[in-house]
Amino acid sequence: MKQTTLGLGLLAATAAMAAPSYADKLDDIIASGTLRCAVVLDFPPMGMRDDSNNPIGFDVDYCNDLAAALGVTAEIVETPFPERIPALMSGRVDVGVASTSDTLERAKTVGMSIPYYAFENAVVANEGVEMATWEDMKGKTVGATAGTYEAIWLEKQITEWGEGTFRPYQTQADVFLALSQGQLDATVSTVEVANANVASGNFPGIKIVDKAPMVPDYVSLFTLREEYGLINYLNLFVNQQVRTGRYAELYEKWIGEGEPADLTIPGVYR
Amino acid sequence: MFNYTFQWKQALARLPQMLDGALVTMQIAVLSMVIGILLAILLTMFRLSGIRVLSAVSKTWVEIARNTPALFQIYMAHFGLGSFGIHLSPFASILLGITFNNAGYLTENFRGALKAIPDTQARAARSLGFGQGGAFRYVVLPQMLRIAFLPMTNQMVWAILMTSLGVTVGMNTDLYGVTQGLNALTFRTFELFALAAVIFYLITKTITLGARLIATRLFRY
Repeated sequence: MKQTTLGLGLLAATAAMAAPSYADKLDDIIASGTLRCAVVLDFPPMGMRDDSNNPIGFDVDYCNDLAAALGVTAEIVETPFPERIPALMSGRVDVGVASTSDTLERAKTVGMSIPYYAFENAVVANEGVEMATWEDMKGKTVGATAGTYEAIWLEKQITEWGEGTFRPYQTQADVFLALSQGQLDATVSTVEVANANVASGNFPGIKIVDKAPMVPDYVSLFTLREEYGLINYLNLFVNQQVRTGRYAELYEKWIGEGEPADLTIPGVYR
Repeated sequence: MFNYTFQWKQALARLPQMLDGALVTMQIAVLSMVIGILLAILLTMFRLSGIRVLSAVSKTWVEIARNTPALFQIYMAHFGLGSFGIHLSPFASILLGITFNNAGYLTENFRGALKAIPDTQARAARSLGFGQGGAFRYVVLPQMLRIAFLPMTNQMVWAILMTSLGVTVGMNTDLYGVTQGLNALTFRTFELFALAAVIFYLITKTITLGARLIATRLFRY
């Protein structure tokens, strides 16, 4: 009974919303002249704010590039990790440029582009803790940013070991604060974030221990699952970013010297 | 524009995990209430004691607990104490934060309840041979708890809802923490949080109805 009522309500809502036009999301964006991107601004160097509080970072530039390609204005909508999906579903944003790992579980809910970046992860520990390799995390109190790829990996690892404690914190800053205070023995974060935080000196008493032995964390742009037109466009856009050298340029600008991660996987199509 | 297909089966498959989380939420709330009530009685006695230092302690506690956000209190219990090298687990941090908050509010409730009890009662008790402690313990306290009973259930409901703030200090075993973890895993945001909301509602509703029932049974004149 309850389900029927809900179903009917949803049906009515859908019918009311379905405009007679068949323009898809891509058309809507072009027509509106604005591309609204969900970007996580608590995730340096991918998304952060400068001294005058303007959003900057790899993901911010990536959104600006995408908007330029579409010939529209970019609007950066700050979106914390856990709110990416509500922001998309409620129509507050058009696409997510939010370092979103392209897991199969999530792809059941949203539409993912081909990967536009890949992270490697590092184990960072409190200096007071004896650690030489990533396996020394066994039995320790570890934590990571809730809702991220590395948090999911780490929690699974702790469950497999059957000892130790896992704690997810809401923001990257809280994880490193807890690590610096010694509330956590170690964390796993992207190499980019680990380097930035060790170099910043904001979190004394932490050191990078080892690389975490996980499959590189490929991240995708995402939008509504059924928006094939837009997803096609996003795929081509990612391809063009690499092809034109813009990907390498952004890497150098935000992450530093060196080669950006290879976005292809040998031996398989995508 | 709301473009979403609800997949309730996917969310319902996670229900057992969420119910385990609800149990932890109940544990925190009940513990924080029991300790909170004991502390509040102590703080109320401090206030009545007429000893300057003690009543100042009580006043300060109530002022801070009532005039700062619960989120701040919980955050301080974890990261604030952490900066002094006192490391509480997420469970202990949230328990401490909510207990602190409960004790503050309940003290204020008890003060209100005391006002409703005529002074003459304590004096009558004294004249019947009770000491000051005895008059409080046997005459004033039972009446105070009776008057403050429904406000106390309010605080209990509030305590349950406050457990959701535990995620800020790394709590991942309570109802809200479990829900958020599952959300990160599956992106089934709406279904999972709708389920969590229903569970929260059922818990708090059961408590308020239960309390009303107990109140009509126990407190008939």
